[in-house]
Amino acid sequence: MEVTLLVQAADESFTILEKARVRAVDLMNTAAKLTSETRWMEEKRVRAIFRGARESRAGLQNFVVTFVILFVFWALLSGKYDAFHLSLGVICTGVVAWMGHELIFHNVRAGDMRVIAWRFLKYIPWLFHEIVVSNFHVARLVLSPRLPIDPNLIRYRTKLESDTSMVTLANSITLTPGTITIAIENGEFIVHALDRKVADDLNAGAMEDQVAHIFMEADHIYIQDVLDVARIFAALR
Amino acid sequence: MQTFFLAVALGICFLVFLVLYRVVYGPGVFNRVAAISAVGTKTLIILLIVGFLYQRVDMFVDISIVYALLNFIGCVAVAKYLEMER
Amino acid sequence: MIYRGEDIIIRTISRMLIPFIQLYGLYVIMHGHYSPGGGFQGGVILGASLILLLLAYGYQDAKSRVPEKLLTVFSGVGVFIYAGTGFLCLVLLGNFLDYAMLAKILHTDAAHARSLGILSVEIGVGMAVMAVMVSIFLDISTGGVLPGEEEEKQKTAEEA
Repeated sequence: MEVTLLVQAADESFTILEKARVRAVDLMNTAAKLTSETRWMEEKRVRAIFRGARESRAGLQNFVVTFVILFVFWALLSGKYDAFHLSLGVICTGVVAWMGHELIFHNVRAGDMRVIAWRFLKYIPWLFHEIVVSNFHVARLVLSPRLPIDPNLIRYRTKLESDTSMVTLANSITLTPGTITIAIENGEFIVHALDRKVADDLNAGAMEDQVAHIFMEADHIYIQDVLDVARIFAALR
Repeated sequence: MQTFFLAVALGICFLVFLVLYRVVYGPGVFNRVAAISAVGTKTLIILLIVGFLYQRVDMFVDISIVYALLNFIGCVAVAKYLEMER
Repeated sequence: MIYRGEDIIIRTISRMLIPFIQLYGLYVIMHGHYSPGGGFQGGVILGASLILLLLAYGYQDAKSRVPEKLLTVFSGVGVFIYAGTGFLCLVLLGNFLDYAMLAKILHTDAAHARSLGILSVEIGVGMAVMAVMVSIFLDISTGGVLPGEEEEKQKTAEEA
């Protein structure tokens, strides 16, 4: 009787192990596929960098987009839409856009602008939600009588690569109550956090992942991780 | 609605007086710079509320944008000067 | 004030904001007749935008955008536009700065001619104010000698 129970238990454990093995093989197949796709995207991006943002076509695109954005700003400011004021607007916007067209979009690769703009628009409601949640947390901290704050300076190494994404992350951290970015030195953020919980939220890196997703950076699958798991992969096969 | 805006404007004026304490007695210059920047932010809000009270919001929005600009540039300039001096 | 800025945040935010600030300055100049503003105020805002560029990037990097000779030319051209409009009205047999006489060359009625005359005078004032403000800032912050000129003067003094 005990032997049959033992044999049954061994049988069930073998089926569980078999299912786990099939699952692991599927995961490794997906990882290999994603690695090859990432490598293709990486090569495409390297080629686009060497084509460069200093090409005249990218310059013209920068000028046109800057002109459109500035003209929308002018139309919002000026309430008068008759021909005289609009022509003045076109001349003024043309002068400003011609003198400073490489200022706003400094090193954006031509063709990336639409994707980045759309992802940025999707990021703003998430940031708003984060600000509201942090507001409640900090208000509860500040209004309690014994003031349980624990101010700390945190040095935080970031995985972001370009100027614009680092500044976006710094501004998002400062907008969220409880944390303030003090400086950025050599890719390392110095952040002043009010409380242990806020510091842990920051170190978990949810905001950094979101910002990296906007600017399409740091989305590599690191080769060393794949190589480490490949031994297990070979053993399972 | 007018009295509500007037009450809000007076409340923010009172907050400005609280921050002015740091401007006068702040030990060192960095406290004073940060407090002036905060006073600038509140002045902006008071300008907009005064625009509502006089029912000429468009004019006061222009003035508010200019004041926000000058507040920012002034803060950057003072910070840069203080950094250079030591 | 004039060395290279080391702070990424201020550099990036300044370069993104400067076209908007300049456009706002031009808006204030052009709409002087309708909303608060005019020539002097718009010139101050334009000058403030160039001062922000100099503060954020330092003189060596921003030198190509704010050359000192061009500033001198701008201030002269601004005053020239102002006085030129006045003299043009004088030449057309009116008083000095009597813009109604401009209707003869512009072929509109007197009210439109006055409005366009005032607009051109405001543009002149704005240009002059912008150039003079940035010139004064450069003079005060560098102590009269621009950071590239000292070594040049020493080199020419050694060669001579």
